[in-house]
Amino acid sequence: MSTITTQDKPKQSITKVLGNYSFILIFFAILLVYLIINAGATTWSGVMNILRHSTVVGIIAFGMGLTIITGGIDLSVGSMLSLIGGISVVVFNATNSPILTLLFALTGGFVLGSINGLLIGKVKMPPFIVTLATMMIYRSIAQYYLRAVERKSIYNMDGTLSAYQGFYDFGQSKLFDLIPTVGIILILVTVVMVFLSTSTKYGRTIYAVGSNERAAMLAGISVEWVRVSVYVLTGVLCGLAAFIWLAMNGSVDPATLGRSNEMYAIAAVVIGGVSMSGGKGNLLGILFGAMSYNIIDKIIAAMRFDALINDTIKGAILLVAVLIQIMIPVLRGKFRKKEA
Amino acid sequence: MTSKETGRDMLEMKGISKSFFGVRVLDKVDLTVGHGEVHALLGENGAGKSTLMNILGGVYTRDAGQVIFLGKPLENTTVRLAENAGIAFVHQELNLFNDLRVYENIFLRKEIVHSFGVLAKKEMIARTQELMAQLGVDIPATAMVSELETSKKQMLEIAKALYAKAELFILDEPTTSLNTAEIEMLFDLIRRLREHGKSFIFISHKLQEVFEIADRYTVLRNGQMVQTGDIAQVTATDIARMMVGQQYTDQSVYQPRELGEVVLKAEKLSGQGFRQVSFSVRRGEIVGFTGLKGAGISEMFSTIFGALPIYGGKLTLFGEEITSNTVRGAMRRRLAMIPSNRKENSVIPDFSLLENFYISEHRLSENEPIINKNTELKRYGTHRDALSIKANTPYDMITSLSGGNQQKVILARWLNTRSDILLLDNPTQGIDVGSKAEIYSLIQQLALEGKTILVNTLEIPEIMKVADRCVVFFHGRVHTILDREQITEERVMIAATNAAQTEVNA
Repeated sequence: MSTITTQDKPKQSITKVLGNYSFILIFFAILLVYLIINAGATTWSGVMNILRHSTVVGIIAFGMGLTIITGGIDLSVGSMLSLIGGISVVVFNATNSPILTLLFALTGGFVLGSINGLLIGKVKMPPFIVTLATMMIYRSIAQYYLRAVERKSIYNMDGTLSAYQGFYDFGQSKLFDLIPTVGIILILVTVVMVFLSTSTKYGRTIYAVGSNERAAMLAGISVEWVRVSVYVLTGVLCGLAAFIWLAMNGSVDPATLGRSNEMYAIAAVVIGGVSMSGGKGNLLGILFGAMSYNIIDKIIAAMRFDALINDTIKGAILLVAVLIQIMIPVLRGKFRKKEA
Repeated sequence: MTSKETGRDMLEMKGISKSFFGVRVLDKVDLTVGHGEVHALLGENGAGKSTLMNILGGVYTRDAGQVIFLGKPLENTTVRLAENAGIAFVHQELNLFNDLRVYENIFLRKEIVHSFGVLAKKEMIARTQELMAQLGVDIPATAMVSELETSKKQMLEIAKALYAKAELFILDEPTTSLNTAEIEMLFDLIRRLREHGKSFIFISHKLQEVFEIADRYTVLRNGQMVQTGDIAQVTATDIARMMVGQQYTDQSVYQPRELGEVVLKAEKLSGQGFRQVSFSVRRGEIVGFTGLKGAGISEMFSTIFGALPIYGGKLTLFGEEITSNTVRGAMRRRLAMIPSNRKENSVIPDFSLLENFYISEHRLSENEPIINKNTELKRYGTHRDALSIKANTPYDMITSLSGGNQQKVILARWLNTRSDILLLDNPTQGIDVGSKAEIYSLIQQLALEGKTILVNTLEIPEIMKVADRCVVFFHGRVHTILDREQITEERVMIAATNAAQTEVNA
C-alpha cells in the first residue's frame, strides 16, 4: 500500500532554513529591541556582557538539551548548581586551589548526575519525577550543610587566601581586553557540544534514542547507558557552570543560586528549536536561546520595570517563540499547497 | 448441530465488494448466518475476513452489496448504528477500560443515576451481578478490569454486548491468548447463548476449535467466497485446501547451492512464546519459518538476536554456546535481525537515510568515535547500488521513502555490519508486490554469497520461491520441518493449523 514516494528534491527553501534556524531570527529580533530601548548598550562591551551573563544558564542548558533530546528532562540542574557551588566554596577555602576546586566541581557534578542517570536509565524511573525529587534534595542539602556545619547564611570564598584574587579576576577577565573569558568558555562548550551531537557516533545515539527507542535498541544501541550518560553529562556541565559562577561572583547563596534555572534552561532549549518530544534539534540553537533569554532580563532592567514582572514577560516570550516554531511548518505546508 | 430453522436468516450479506486504493480486497462476497448459529469465517491472512467484519461492524463502508440484519436492511452503517442494531464486534484488542471497574464498563454511557446525576452504584452493581449469574460467569461486579485475566475480559465484553441487547457477536480470534481451560469456559458460554438464539461469527485459524464449536463455515480466499456449508460435512484437510486453493508458484528464483557447516543450532530452546525448539542451519542456507500469527517465530528470532531472554535449552552460534544473549553480543558474532513492523522496530523517523543506514555499524566500530562522512557516504553508495535503493540524496528523511525502499535501507544497515547470519522477520510486510519480488531475489543472491538467512513469513508462496527448508511452527513449537521438495502450500497450511492432529482427535 505504501507507494507514496515524494520525489521532490530537498529544496533549501527560505521557509525551511527559517524553520531550522529560527533561533537566530528570534535572537536578533530581541537584540534589536534591546538596542533600541537601551541605546547605551550599543557598544562592544554591552553586547559582550550578554555573552558573559548567558554563560552559566547557557552551559546548564546544553545538559538540559541532551536530556530533552533523549525524551527526558532534568529539573535538578538549578539545585545541582547550588549544591556543587556551595560545597566548592568549602573546598576552595580548605585547599586554596582553583584547580582542585574545579576538579571537585566536575566530580561532584558527575556523582549527582550519576544518581539521576542510574535511577532513570537503569531503574527506569520517570525522569520528571526523579529529577523533581533530586531538585528538592540537592538544594536542601546545600542549605542544611551551610547552617548546620558551616553555621553561616551564605557560602563565601575566603578573600584572604592567596589564590582568591587570581580566581576572582579570572571570572572578570577579558581575552585581549575584548571578549570575556567566561564567554569564551561558553563558546567552547557550544563548539564541543555541537561537534559531539553531530559528528560523533555517540552523539547520534542520543538522537536515535529520543526518536525511536525500540528501533534504537534493536539497532544495537544500549538505550539504558545512553540515558545514564546524558544525565551524567548534565551533572558535569552543572559542575563547570558552578565553578564559573564562583569565579564570577565569589559567593553562593544556596537558597537563591540556580533557582528557576531549570525553567530558564528549558526555555533556552525550546527557543533554540529543540523538540520537547525528543529526537530532533540543533544544539547550536541553545546558545542563541540562552542569550535571547538573557537579553530579555536586560530589556526589563533597562525599561525600569518592576523586577517581579520579569517572569511574566519571559513566559510570554517563550509562548511566542514556540508559537513561531509551530507556525513555520504550518505556513510552509500552505505554501507547498499553493505551489502544487 | 446445524442452524435452527427459524424461517429467515439472522444476517444476510450479499455481493459485498470493497476496494482500498484501487485494490479489490472483497469481491462479491456472500455470508449468511442463521439464528442460534456459530458460523466460522475462515481464510488465510489477507483473505478479507477482517475487512468483511469491519464492514458488518460499521468500521468501513462497503462499495457494493447488501446487508440484511434481522429482516431489516442496514444502510450507511456506522459503528454506533451496528451496535444499536444488535451487532457486537469483540475485537482482538479488547475495547474495555482497564482502569474502571466491571460494572462501570458495562454501564458506560448508560449509567443509572439518581437525582442530580449521582450514580446509582448499588443498583448498577446488583444488575451486573444478576447478568453475570445469568451467564454463569464468575466475574465480580466491582473488580477492576485490569485485574481480570484475558479470558474473563473477553467474557465481560460479551456480557457487556449482551446487556446492550446484541444478537450477533463477531469474535475475532478470541482464543489466541487463552489457555485450554479458558477456551472451554468461553465455549461453554457461547453454547449457552446459542441455545437462547444468539449467533456468533467465529474467526479463528485454529481448525481444531472450529470443528469443536462451529455449526457452519464460510471460506474466503483472495477476497472471494470459496465455499460455505455445514461443518459436519467437511474435514480439516478439506478446509485447509479450500483456504489455500490451487495456487501456483510463479517465477521461482531458487538456485541450488553448496551448503557449509552448521552455523546456528537450537536445542530444546525455550523463550517467551516458544518452547523446546530444535533445529540447525548451515552456512549459506535459506530457511523459511512459518506459522500462524502468534506461533512464536518472531519471539524466537528476537531471542536468538539477544533482544529477549533465553528461558531454557541451548543456542549455539558458529560452534560456540551462547550463555548470556545480548544484542551487542549477537552483533559481534555477526548476526543481524530485520524485525517485523518496520515503523516501530526499525525506522528512526527523525534520521536521514544515511543516518538510518550507518547507525548499527557504529556499534561495532566505537573505537573510532568520530564519524567520517566520506567513508559513510562511500559505503552507503555501494549498498544503494547493490540493493537499488531509490532515493534522491542520502540526506533525505527515511520517512519520505516508500515502504519497500525503507526496508532496503534497513537491509543495507545490516549488510553494512558485514553480518553472516540474517534473521528476517516478515521482511515484506507492507511492501508492494514489485519490491517484494526484489527483496526475495536479493535474499537468494545473498545466500549465493555465503550468507545464512532465516526468514519468517506468513506467505507460503514466498517461502517456496527461495527456501531450502521450511520450519513450520504451531503454538510455539516446531510442528514439521519440510525439505524443499516437500514444501507445498497445502502441507504447510495443514501443519500450521495442526489440521492432521485435529482429524485424529475428531
